[in-house]
Formats: sequence, C-alpha cells, structure tokens
Amino acid sequence: MLCELKERERAGIINPIFTCQPCGAQFASIGIKDCIGIVHGGQGCVMFVRLLISQHLKESFEIASSSVHESGAVFGACGRVEEAVDVLLMRYPDVKVVPIISTCLTEVIGDDIEGVARKLNEGLLAEKYPGREVHLIPIHTPSFVGSMISGYDIAVRDFVKYFAKKTEPNGKLNLITGWVNPGDVTALKHLLREMDIDATVLFEIESFDSPVMPDGNHVSHGSTTIEDLTGTANAQATLALNRYEGGKAAEYLATEFDIPTLVGPTPIGIRNTDAFLKNLKTLTGKPIPQSLVRERGQALDALTDLTHMFFADKRVAIYGAPDLAISLAEFCLDLEMKPKLLLLGDDNSGYQHDPRIKALQQNVGHEMEIVTNADFWELEDRIKNKGLELDLILGHSKGRFISIDYNIPMVRVGFPTYDRAGLHRHPVVGYAGATWLAEQMANTLFADMEHKHNKEWILNVW
Amino acid sequence: MDDLMKDRMDQLLDHIMKKCLWQFHSRSWDRKVQNEGVLSKATQLLCGEPVDTSTPLAKCHWVDALCLVNDYKRRFAWVSQLKPDEIKEIMQALHERLDHLTITGSLNLELNDQHY
Amino acid sequence: MPYHEFKCSTCIPERKNHAVIKGPGEDLTMALPAGYLSTIPGTISERGCAYCGAKHVIGSPMKDVIHLSHGPVGCTYDTWQTKRYISDNDNFQLKYTFASDMKEKHVVFGAEKLLKSNIIEAFKAFPNIKRMTIYQTCASALIGDDLNAIAQEVMDEMPEVDIFVCNSPGFAGPSQSGGHHKINIAWINQKVGTIEPKITGDYVINYVGEYNIQGDQEVMCDFFKRMGIQVLSTFTGNGSYDDLRAMHKAQLNVLECARSAEYICNELRVRYGIPRLDIDGFGFEPLANSLRKVGLFFGIEDRAEAIIAEETARWKPELDWYKERLKGKKVCLWPGGSKLWHWAHVIHDEMGLDVVSVYTKFGHQGDMEKGISRCEEGALAIDDPNELEGLEAMEMLKPDIILTGKRPGEVAKKIRVPYLNAHAYHNGPWKGWEGWVRFARDIYNAIYSPIHKLTLLDIAADEIATDTTFETQVMLSDAALSEETRNAADLRQFTGQFDGLKSLRGKTYPEFEAKTAGAA
Repeated sequence: MLCELKERERAGIINPIFTCQPCGAQFASIGIKDCIGIVHGGQGCVMFVRLLISQHLKESFEIASSSVHESGAVFGACGRVEEAVDVLLMRYPDVKVVPIISTCLTEVIGDDIEGVARKLNEGLLAEKYPGREVHLIPIHTPSFVGSMISGYDIAVRDFVKYFAKKTEPNGKLNLITGWVNPGDVTALKHLLREMDIDATVLFEIESFDSPVMPDGNHVSHGSTTIEDLTGTANAQATLALNRYEGGKAAEYLATEFDIPTLVGPTPIGIRNTDAFLKNLKTLTGKPIPQSLVRERGQALDALTDLTHMFFADKRVAIYGAPDLAISLAEFCLDLEMKPKLLLLGDDNSGYQHDPRIKALQQNVGHEMEIVTNADFWELEDRIKNKGLELDLILGHSKGRFISIDYNIPMVRVGFPTYDRAGLHRHPVVGYAGATWLAEQMANTLFADMEHKHNKEWILNVW
Repeated sequence: MDDLMKDRMDQLLDHIMKKCLWQFHSRSWDRKVQNEGVLSKATQLLCGEPVDTSTPLAKCHWVDALCLVNDYKRRFAWVSQLKPDEIKEIMQALHERLDHLTITGSLNLELNDQHY
Repeated sequence: MPYHEFKCSTCIPERKNHAVIKGPGEDLTMALPAGYLSTIPGTISERGCAYCGAKHVIGSPMKDVIHLSHGPVGCTYDTWQTKRYISDNDNFQLKYTFASDMKEKHVVFGAEKLLKSNIIEAFKAFPNIKRMTIYQTCASALIGDDLNAIAQEVMDEMPEVDIFVCNSPGFAGPSQSGGHHKINIAWINQKVGTIEPKITGDYVINYVGEYNIQGDQEVMCDFFKRMGIQVLSTFTGNGSYDDLRAMHKAQLNVLECARSAEYICNELRVRYGIPRLDIDGFGFEPLANSLRKVGLFFGIEDRAEAIIAEETARWKPELDWYKERLKGKKVCLWPGGSKLWHWAHVIHDEMGLDVVSVYTKFGHQGDMEKGISRCEEGALAIDDPNELEGLEAMEMLKPDIILTGKRPGEVAKKIRVPYLNAHAYHNGPWKGWEGWVRFARDIYNAIYSPIHKLTLLDIAADEIATDTTFETQVMLSDAALSEETRNAADLRQFTGQFDGLKSLRGKTYPEFEAKTAGAA
C-alpha cells in the first residue's frame, strides 16, 4: 500500500495540533442558550479557552471557573463548585443550563461532580432558587484523555443525554453538525430548507456572528434551547455529520430512543455533499430539488475552471480535526491533488477502523502518510529534514509558522483561524463550501506564484 | 507648621506620589529604608550639604533624591527661596506624611508579610 | 475614598472591598482595594493561573530555550501564540513549544520516564539549542513527579545541556502572579551565579521585568548601548538563558515591571548587594528621568542628556500633535498588573487623557497604591474585575477608549467602545520616545475611527447625513480645534516606520573610552 497509517513515535509533542478535552466541552456549551459552563479546575483552563475562542470568532463568550487554588487541590474542591453555582445563578438571572466541566486537576484529586450536582439540587437549588429552572450537568473531560475533539463529542452527548425526553414524535430531523463555524450552519440550514426539512440543529451558532448595534449589548450567545435538546428524543431521524464530533450523541439517541441514525460523511467537497443530500433523502423521504441540482452545477462549473489546470498533482499536507482533515483529503483527491500527509492530533483508537482511512490506504495511488497522535513536528521535520516537498498546506492557524518559514502557501481552515479575517463567516460544507474552499486554494496558489515569480505569467490569460 | 508651609508640603508630596516609584517597595522595612534614604539625601541636596554616595544603595538613593530635587526646583520656584531650616522643617513633615501614607497608615496587607 | 459597590455584585458583598473611587482630598490610608486574594468562584473573573504566570508570561520570552511543559497537552497549546514577545533570534521561543503529552496511564503509573524521553527528543530535534526550562502543571504536580531529579539525571548524561525547573502548577496561588513569584525565586536559587560572564564595559546592568513586547526591550537596550552601558541580561524578554545565569555580576538592576520581577531584584540585592532602581520606560518624562537616573548612577549623565535632547527634539512635535487631539478623552485603563501605574499619570500629563478607571487582574495592593496615586480624582479602581462589573463600569463611566486584553476588548466593541490591546499592543513597540508616539497614534486612530462613529448611528431612528461621503480621522478630530492649533507649524503626525526595529538590529554603537585601565 502506498498510503501508510502510523502513530507518532516520539514520546513528546513539539507544537501541538490540539488542545485538551475541557476546551471542546466549553465550545459545545456556548452553543446553548441561557447556558454558562463552570470549568472545575484552575483558572487558566477557562481564561485561555475563552481567549482562543475569541481569537477565532472575534467575539467574547461567558464561561466561568471554579477557581481552584492550592487548598482546593490539597483538600478537595467540591465546595468551590457549590459557591460558583450560587454566584453564577445570583448574578445571571437568565442562566438555566450549567455544565460542570472537569479538568485534569479535579479528575486527579477525584472530586465527585455528580455528588456536588446532587447536593446542590437537593440543597441550594431547592432552598434558595425554588421555581427556577436550573440544570446542572456534570461533564467529565480529564485533559489527559483524548483531545479537544473528544471533549466536544462527550459534551454534546452529555447535553443530549441529560435533556432528551421521549414524548410525542415531532417529525424533525436531528442534525448534529460537529465543531463548525457560523458560516457552516448557515450553509447547512440552506440545504435543509431547499430539501424542505424541518431540523433541530445542534448547535445553533449562527448567532455567534453577532452585530454591533446602536444601543444595548449584543454580545454573542448560542441559541439552541432546552426544548431543542429535549426534543431530540422525538425526532424522526438523526444525521450526524462528523463521526468524532457528535457521533457519540447520535449513537446515544439511536440506542436509547431507537431513532434511525446515519453518521457522516462530513459534507466537504461535491461528493460528500452529494452523500449528505442522499442521507437526508433516505432519512426523511424528501426528494432532492432542482434548485440543488443547479447549485451543484454552479459549484462544478467553478471547480472545472480550476482542477486540471491548476490543482492537478499539487502536493498537500492537511492537519486538524479528524473529520475535517479526512474529508479535505477526499476533496483534494477529487480535485486531482495529491495529499501527501494527513495529521490527526490525538490517539483515538477508532482511526484505524475508520472506513474513510481504510479507503485511502487501499486506493491512493501516490505515497501518502497518515499520522495519528501527531504534532506539528511530524510536518516540519519531514519538510526540514526528510525531503517532503509540498505545494500547499491546509489547516488551522497554529501551524502558520511552518507555512511562513518554509515558504509553502497555506489555506486556513478549521479551528482556530485567528490569523485570517472573517473565515468563520464562510462555509466549508455544502456546494457553496466546496466552491469557497477551492477558490481559496486557487487564489492562495496564485498569490504564491506571483510572490515567487513562479510562472506568474500563466495568469495573464485564464 | 503654617498653612503656607503645609500647602507647599502637599505639593511636594503630591509630586512624589504621582511621579516616583521608590516609595512603593513591597514591604514596610524596605519602604522605611527607601523613604529615609531618598528624603534625607534630598534634604541634604536642597541645603547644599555633602551627600554620602559610598555604597551602591546610597548611590541609588542619591540618584532618586537628585532627580526629585531637580524636579522640585523646576516645578516649584519657591523651593529655591527656602532657607535651610525651612527646608528641614518641610522635608521632615514630608517624610512623616510619606511614612504615614506608605507605611504606618497604609492599608496594604502585604507590607508586613515575611515572604514576598 | 469610598469603597464602590457594583449593582451586579451586591449579592457577593465581599466584592465591595475590591473597588474604590478616588475622592477629592482622600488618600490611600482611607481606602485601598483588596488584592491577590482567592478568586470568588463563578464570578467570571479574568484571571489566569500560576502556570501561565510562570511559563507564558515570564519563562517563555527567554529566547534560546526549549520550553517544555510536563503535563497533558492543553496547557502548552493554550499558552502558545497568544503573545507578541518577539526576539532577535527569529522568534524561536514564539514558534516552538513542547509538551510531554501526559496521558491517563502516566497519571496512574507516573510520568518521569516519559519526561526524560521528552527532554532527550527535544534536544535532538533542535541540536543548536542547549538550554531548557521544564514547567510543572497541575497534573504533574499532583502525581508527584520529581522534575528536578529527572533534569539532573539528563544533565549528568548530557553535560553540554543545562536545564531549569519551574514548579508552578496552575493552582499555586490566586492568579498568574503566583507563578511570577515562583519562577523568579526558582531562577535565582537554581541558576544565578552558575556562569561567569564576560564584562565588556565599565557600566553593567541587568534589565529586569521587561518582556520585549513588539520590541520594547530592543528599543530600551538601544538607549543603554548608546550610553555605553553593557546590558548583561534582560529578565526575560529577548533574554538569553546563559546571560541570565550571570545576573550576579551586574552593578545595578534596572527594574521595569515591579509586579512580575521585583522578587528577583530583591534577592539579588540581599544575596549579591546589587541595588535596585525602579524605572518607567513609557512616556517622555518618565523615560527621560529613568535614563537620567541610570546615567547619574554611573556618572555618565551627560550621555543620557544627549539622548534625551535628541529624542525629545525628534518626537515631541508628533506627541504634541496627538495631545492636542486627545485632550479630555476618557480612558478605562484596564491592563493585567503593572501598566495601570506605568501609564496612569503619564497618559494624562503627556497625552491629555483622563483616566476614569484603573483595574488590575492579578496585581497586588502595592500595584493599586501606585495606580491610585497616579490617576486623577474620581477614578474607579477595581481589583480582579469580572465580566458584569466591567460592563457596569463602562456603562457608568462612558469611556472614549479602553486599554485592555483581546477578549475584554471584544466585549467593549459590542457596546461601541474602542479598544487597544494593553498587553500585546496594537502597533508597538510603545516604549521609547518613538514608541510613545506610536501609542498616542494608536489611541488617536481608535477614538477617531470613522467606522467607530458610524456604530453610534441608528439608521432606523436618526437622521442620515447624505452630504458626507466619507470622513477622515483628521476631519473628526480637528473639527473642534482652534484654527491656530489645527495649523500649528511646529506639530505633525507620526512619521516613524511600520517596523522600527529593522534599523536597530545590527546597528553599531560608539566606543567609549574605558574609565579604568583593564576594565575591558
């Protein structure tokens, strides 16, 4: 096989691709309306995640800390959660959902966050806040297990598990998007509308792109409601776009409530979007309308201008969230490019069984490596010391210096993309996303040709 | 001290509080050394008396004192008119007031901490 | 000076001790915000942790060092690429960060072996780097790994390398300040005095508490070099590990940020008799006085005066251009720890701005004493602020601009208050004479942004002016100025380069005659 799947052999990380689980749980939490999470641990676990999210979206979000200091680390810090819940509820009268997100610190000392939630429910909430709807949801996200990706997956499952309640069928589709941008949600909802499908979208984060208004404070919040989450048990079907971000919630709904469920593919590229529409059709019985045939045609029209002329045989390295990175590789192959290296930043044992990875291993006709538990050194070392030649890098902003220092053009995609303006507004999913991505790649290659005086005259006629 | 002198002392004090950092070391003992060191040397400079700069610490105090005195002379014309005993009186009062603000009357709970 | 109670915080009465309004005729002995106390959980405080204080703030600006955090990957990722402390070795410390990648099995069975493999691998990956700092995290502290023992083991096996260990887990203190303290003391205990430097001049200083944000350190070192002073080390911005091991051989410690680095200065004073001179690198007058003092200490004040005269002549007309246009604008000065007092008085004196509020996320009461002394009457001082109090304060004070961090800046944007990044700067460096004009220019461009003005218009309710097709900052700022000021021939806008550092790196300096024979 020309395409090898391997794990990082070195013990340590040189420049991490992912951060740890609590970040993922925090990102999931901000998608819910009237929700402020409490991260049970040191303050840095919140402060830096809030900064990271605000770097990516250019918005600020509210997430609290239980502020565990030395004494808590020594004697146990459950009391800090109790105090945090009370302070939060007193000062934020609209808050109803309070996930309690654990960290390495509080998992190592063994704080019983279920016990705290129980105690608060029976004590503080019953006595001080009778009649107020408050949901305390313990979420275990030790930082030494998995990554931000699994943290997101776990949190989505835990939210769904907590709220989902079977009553009457609501005829809706559960659409679990995975970790995406506001622009992706807009694109997905557009496709659903064209298909005439009523869906519960987890999570409704279009509102993250919040305005500056002439008066008042319009700071960003997610808008998925408790009712949305409760209703997931009554859906006619579930479609999770990503296996590793939201797959757990889909699986839970399938087993617990017997809901017909499909997981994947991530609708990046034409082929994956086709499959997405087919899945929608399968689950809801709704036909694919002519409007989408036309939209697909527009995308194909745009791509045809680019593929064999500019993309063919271009060598690409891709890193980031697994579902994103794999689908980008698939899309690149359809565009006649050669993904040479795929880096997945955690040690999820599921990767070796992933049919998409198996398909790459079986069918890719050029030398390619897929590295799991990877760091950025897997990329840089190959470029610097092992002769890897690349024409393009696809990935998030934390890898920017590899692009800069080795003069390889890079398209920012994924999370976070803080060193480019406004990327969160644009979709990478759907036909519109395919066009956007391909044109971003093309324009990036064009600019690079011009900077390097590398056959830049080609673009005189096109 | 009469009102005029008191008013002048306040001006000198205000300048220190706004422009200087030497009075704000982090512990009481340190502030005592600093206030005493800088203000006694400033008094000597204002009175035209010799100033000891033989140790590194004394030199640092002299540096801060000299800059303070130069600022005083530039900002407050009346400073150069004062007689030595008036200078000593006003600087003594200033020293007491500064010690009060930064040490004895300070609400900074860390001032007497044995550690940093 | 009454304590100020925020409406949003009446339910947590202890918060009242953390905010004070500076009233007329009142002084520091009447009220002082509490500081460096345990954070109240759930307030949505802006504080970070002691790990980040040690690793991210103080440790990582050291430029020729592998910075390895022993723990799960998140601490490392999160404290990577969120700062602008550059270096003249192509930013090695900004680009590379290392994590031992502790997983569940290591938490159960220990991670010392893992750490050792990490150290060896990292040196192998970067054969030109021979120095390393290892940072403890919450996880490695709790499982009790002995970082010092592993570091020693490696140093015994690899005599060409040197490793510094910083044990400052995230929970070690109420804020990042705990980490500043721990790494200061760890450095002097472990590393100072372990190498003898080459003394090349008569006048030798350590420049302490300076982190080279956007090149601040390089600007300041330019002045010191022009004075013929040898900057033996900088703690820690653009600083070299081995230079910092030789701190004991300086004649003077010049201390900039007393919040993060007074500890090491105090210890250098106690252990080696090196005095400490506190300076301000921000603002024309404080900077002039700072150089003057250093010059006086060494008896070379004439060299300082020459620089002061030259720089003031070059940049004063530009600073004053901005001052005329910034007079009376209200500022919330909301930085992390020390800039509240570095800036409070001098942006008032030299730019005409009114500081209506100061806050500190991780400062101590000493920082508040300095900050409150330096700001004008009526200012609101807040310790360990939180999200709601920040909003309430801005609504109450209606500032024209806030100087704060990136994320709180996003909050300000939503209520139509312009923001500048107080930690990382917008277009710095902001130290030095030119830097101070850059700062004024950045403030001016933020306040007089035509887009900012458009945010205040409600197109549904207000009259929309159709006769204005565009506006410029100058059109907005000069409308209220007198003819004379507007056209003053001796004032001008900023004329510096986008990147002023290019001309500093590689610059040659005048040779001064040695004071005593054999000094070199």
